Amino acid sequence: MAPPIYSALIISLGLGTTMTFASTHWYLAWMGIEINTLAIIPLMAQNHIPRAIEATTKYFFVQATASATLLFAGISNAFLTGQWDITYTPYTLTSTLITLALAMKIGLAPLHSWMPEVMQGLNLLTGLILSTWQKLAPLYLIYQIQPNNPNIFIALGLLSIIVGGWGGFNQVQLRKILAYSSIAHLGWMILILSFSPPLALLTIIIYILMTFSLFSSFMLTRTTHINSLSTTWAKIPILTISTPLILLSLGGLPPLTGFMPKWMILQELTKQSLCPLATMAALSSLFSLYFYLRLSYAMTLTMPPNNPAGTLPWRLNPRHNTLPLALTTTSTICLLPMTPAIMSLMPF
Amino acid sequence: MLKILIPSILLLPSTWLTPQKYLWTTTLSYSLLIASASLMWLATPSETGWSFLNCLMASDPISTPLLVLTCWLLPLMVLASQNHLMLEPINRQRTFISLLISLQIFLILAFSATELIMFYIMFEATLIPTLIIITRWGNQMERLNAGTYFLFYTLAGSLPLLIALLLLQNSTGTLSFFTIPYLPSTCSTPWAHKMWWTACLLAFLIKMPLYGAHLWLPKAHVEAPIAGSMILAAVLLKLGGYGMMRILIILDPLTKELSYPFIILALWGVIMTGSICLRQTDLKALIAYSSVSHMGLVAAGILIQTPWAFTGALILMIAHGLTSSALFCLANTNYERTHSRTMILARGLQTLLPLTAVWWFIATLANLALPPLPNLMGELMIITSLFNWSMWTLILTGLGTLITAGYSLYMFLMTQHGQLPHHLISLNPPHSREHLLLTLHLMPLLLLILKPELIWGWNA
Repeated sequence: MAPPIYSALIISLGLGTTMTFASTHWYLAWMGIEINTLAIIPLMAQNHIPRAIEATTKYFFVQATASATLLFAGISNAFLTGQWDITYTPYTLTSTLITLALAMKIGLAPLHSWMPEVMQGLNLLTGLILSTWQKLAPLYLIYQIQPNNPNIFIALGLLSIIVGGWGGFNQVQLRKILAYSSIAHLGWMILILSFSPPLALLTIIIYILMTFSLFSSFMLTRTTHINSLSTTWAKIPILTISTPLILLSLGGLPPLTGFMPKWMILQELTKQSLCPLATMAALSSLFSLYFYLRLSYAMTLTMPPNNPAGTLPWRLNPRHNTLPLALTTTSTICLLPMTPAIMSLMPF
Repeated sequence: MLKILIPSILLLPSTWLTPQKYLWTTTLSYSLLIASASLMWLATPSETGWSFLNCLMASDPISTPLLVLTCWLLPLMVLASQNHLMLEPINRQRTFISLLISLQIFLILAFSATELIMFYIMFEATLIPTLIIITRWGNQMERLNAGTYFLFYTLAGSLPLLIALLLLQNSTGTLSFFTIPYLPSTCSTPWAHKMWWTACLLAFLIKMPLYGAHLWLPKAHVEAPIAGSMILAAVLLKLGGYGMMRILIILDPLTKELSYPFIILALWGVIMTGSICLRQTDLKALIAYSSVSHMGLVAAGILIQTPWAFTGALILMIAHGLTSSALFCLANTNYERTHSRTMILARGLQTLLPLTAVWWFIATLANLALPPLPNLMGELMIITSLFNWSMWTLILTGLGTLITAGYSLYMFLMTQHGQLPHHLISLNPPHSREHLLLTLHLMPLLLLILKPELIWGWNA
């Protein structure tokens, strides 16, 4: 893609999210989200292959539906309350409608079906943008509306954790696995959103760090399938140590960083006397751990001593910019002892 | 405490920076140095209180023997793994040794933790290096399944434990071992209290393992390489026992009734797994099931919470750790020579390897709890305290002792006595390394006969 067009699209992505962040009026917030959607469409379709066009089309339909619902909900809220303020949603009807529209935007269960198929059609960089940057604006809006009824958040959250885990069981395509992982982690975020919004912020930040390092590792070796993971030892041996650790961190195993949000969320849930919910969420996250473990099995733990298990791909593009990967991988693995410091930074 | 922890952490860079020629020598000698230095922990000035304190770590008479066992085991693991890793590239050797060292670090932090959440995090942290050791360096295809079972059985138990600990933190405001014994018991609704009690203990019972949740153990022990089997049998199972000992203080008064099914399951498991041992064809599986059997006795002892039972459990944990690890090393000497774990393929070894037969004899006698070894002391104390708790347990424990003697003798006779099979013409004689390994296992066991107060725990 020509550099000016590329830059214009990236800047538009930034503009859209920033507009939503800076807005207090429903129209402006909705416009920011629309700009985001429109800017990412050409990025998704840049490959001009049918699979990418299919992903783009599915994404567009889903996001358009969600945006229309969101606009309708915002206008209904304005009609009922007389205010265009985003933070003023006293009626359960409109706040539920807004929540569901935004849930469809970010791919929470039961409105998640588009996520794996869309992610599969994209190249890894666009998939990274989809699973990290595109979640920020809708999550910010959910963060802002008053949670009249925490039950919807709990239902969306728990269902997403379960679906995100169970759905990834049968997958061999890495991008679909990353989509289901995104669904599961967003489930954790939504679960805690009505009880402690700063913890949801912590979860999304840690999730973005972990996903960034995982996507970057996959981009380095150009792997999109479990089979091609098994040749990593021949290409970049250090990745065979760091990527399983990133995967186990995504699965929430102590002493890696990924344990931190889960621990804090479970603590908050037990403070709210929601122990059965906490137990169910914790045990459901074991599902996703299973397929992360399977990925690390394919990559490291069944490393063949001599011959690679898959056919060797062409090694193109030797220029690696590994600084972001190094930084995010280190934070994904080593940040758990910093939990007290990080928690003191959270506005409670 | 830090005098041992920091050198252990610094073993990691020394593994990676040592030249290839000196890798095994260096790691062995430094880990042996750390192990000897860790013996200082045994000199506890206060008999029931905490010693070697800092804010986050301390040792008391229950954790000290386990800490010393952990530090003692690292040089033994290095010694045992040297042979099967010799053919691998140097960086993989360094990675393997780093995994063993990181296990030691996590275990030291776990046993010396003064806060329950720190113990929990270190308890979970030991899973990752063990998983990597089992699945990467195991020898058969089944190791993948073994790793998955190991990880998921333990995690399924420990996630409810996390929630139970967080509940305790919320209601009492602290999780420190120093203050927890003095807190009023948290009695909320009966059903929720029972669930909380179960959640606290489930992780440790699965780790011990308790008979119904023991399926991960034979898989993990059998598929692991020798260092993995050693650390699993000797120390990681004891993490479960130690955790139970620590947390039972808080769990009164429910324990009086709720522990019944678990005690009975544990004792039944002693008999069942003992009987399974009598029919095993796989040598490592036999030793693994014997571990389940001994740990069942330990679990029953810990759950009845009398002083003799705790002492017996601790003694049996240490003695079983040394014995089981020694048996796995002996099974490994067989495996390195014949590359098979099947017992009938390596019979009558007394003819071929008479020196190893001595070690087999001593280890077997230790396993079947021959006096005056500490194994007997531990078993007898547990059996006595169980008899005091209820005289009907004597049937189960007596039968268990009989079956233990049965399968230990079966293992010895199968591997050592009888006629040599026709296909075994010559095997490599035992190396000095292997003799040293077994000496270092069995000599502490014999020396503990002379001063068992070291491992009596709170009854010293």
